[in-house]
Amino acid sequence: MRALVVVLGLVLGVLAGAGLILVNPLAWLSGLPPLPADLAPAKAYSWNDYRGIEGGVGDLLGVARRNRDVALMDPTLPHVRIGIVVLPAGEGAPAALAVKVSAVAEENSLWRARLGTDDYWNIFWPGEGSVFANAYSNYWAVARDAFFATLVGGNREQMAPSYPVTAPPPLGEPAGVTGASGRYAGFTGEIREQLYLASPRATRPDPDWAIAIKANPPPVAVP
Amino acid sequence: MKRLFIFAFIAGLLAVALAATLWPLPEHLRYRSITSVPTDGGRQEEFVIHWPEDRIARPGEKGAGLPATVAVGAAVLEDSAGRRVSAELFRLRDTEDNVIGVASRLAGTGGAIADPGRSASNWLLVIPSRGALFMAQSDVQDTTVRERLTADGPVALAPAQAAAFWTDRPRIRITAPAPGGDGPATTGKVLRGTSEFAGLRGSFTETWDLEEVHADGSTRGRILLSTLTSGGT
Repeated sequence: MRALVVVLGLVLGVLAGAGLILVNPLAWLSGLPPLPADLAPAKAYSWNDYRGIEGGVGDLLGVARRNRDVALMDPTLPHVRIGIVVLPAGEGAPAALAVKVSAVAEENSLWRARLGTDDYWNIFWPGEGSVFANAYSNYWAVARDAFFATLVGGNREQMAPSYPVTAPPPLGEPAGVTGASGRYAGFTGEIREQLYLASPRATRPDPDWAIAIKANPPPVAVP
Repeated sequence: MKRLFIFAFIAGLLAVALAATLWPLPEHLRYRSITSVPTDGGRQEEFVIHWPEDRIARPGEKGAGLPATVAVGAAVLEDSAGRRVSAELFRLRDTEDNVIGVASRLAGTGGAIADPGRSASNWLLVIPSRGALFMAQSDVQDTTVRERLTADGPVALAPAQAAAFWTDRPRIRITAPAPGGDGPATTGKVLRGTSEFAGLRGSFTETWDLEEVHADGSTRGRILLSTLTSGGT
């Protein structure tokens, strides 16, 4: 009976402790406001064609098993994901070919509600031009909601359908969009990403994403 | 019994606090940076990619049975006007041949991007322990990957992986020279960096070196990216 009480106390203490850490108010304070939809329409995309980590909480904590079918086995790349993305046409823009690279951020901190990746984009629109972008994506809210959804019944329907994941870079360094070529050369701007969880009844295994980019041309030099 | 439960509960809380403090979150392995300082200033660093072995293939993608010049892992997007963009993924090495990160090369043709017969290309270099470099250039010729239909479906073909590309030369500088003037001699620009590379700008050149031609018409070689950067705006 005493052993049962000790185990029960420990388990409840661990769950309560994990819950207290996960409800860290910093997670609510660290988001970025969304970009205006009329200036920066969100483009939905799938990122199922990738190599490297899956990108779940286990990968961010460093406890996930490596899937040898997709993992990059080089010693410097166990926490990296890279893949080609096609961004659909629409809202006056043609389809674009893009590469997205995510690397688990070394600045992650469980006490500071930071559990994320450094993301890098290169997006190329045929005949138009290209941009680079970088951002920090924080998955703390996703991990928190998944934990509490599991506690109260293990149903993903109790989580939000989507999460804005772009957050200010932990070290305060510059992030955002840099125009590279064509008509976007010299542009600067901002990027936001949204993660859409697959519904519990969906056949697709992976989440979907949406990216919004707002970029402005360089200032005109006055003679 | 009640006291025992409270003690156990507090022990659980403390265990979580300890774990959150000491948990070994992932860190990236780092190799020593191989940089040099030219006599007239700046910071020079070279990056190497070997083809075809450094290409990052898609999951389940196999080269067996396909033309030897197939660029695994590459993708091509072409619009109805024939304007093309191609994307290639690579492992990135330092000059001591250590894999230090990943790189992508996106190249595009037509419209506002490049003159006819030429392309413009972007390099995204990500070294997880150090940050990323964003680089863009005009190419001396069209370097986009082409798509060809085969019995197994469409495949991507990289120009440099075919022996026919190398008929009269073992080396080609892909970065177009800059138009005359007092500026840098290359159109290759290091636009921006992140983390350790934050605040760096400069120039770069991309060179392809042929190392071997195989009997099946495919080739082996290396891409050399030579960067020259400095701090400031």
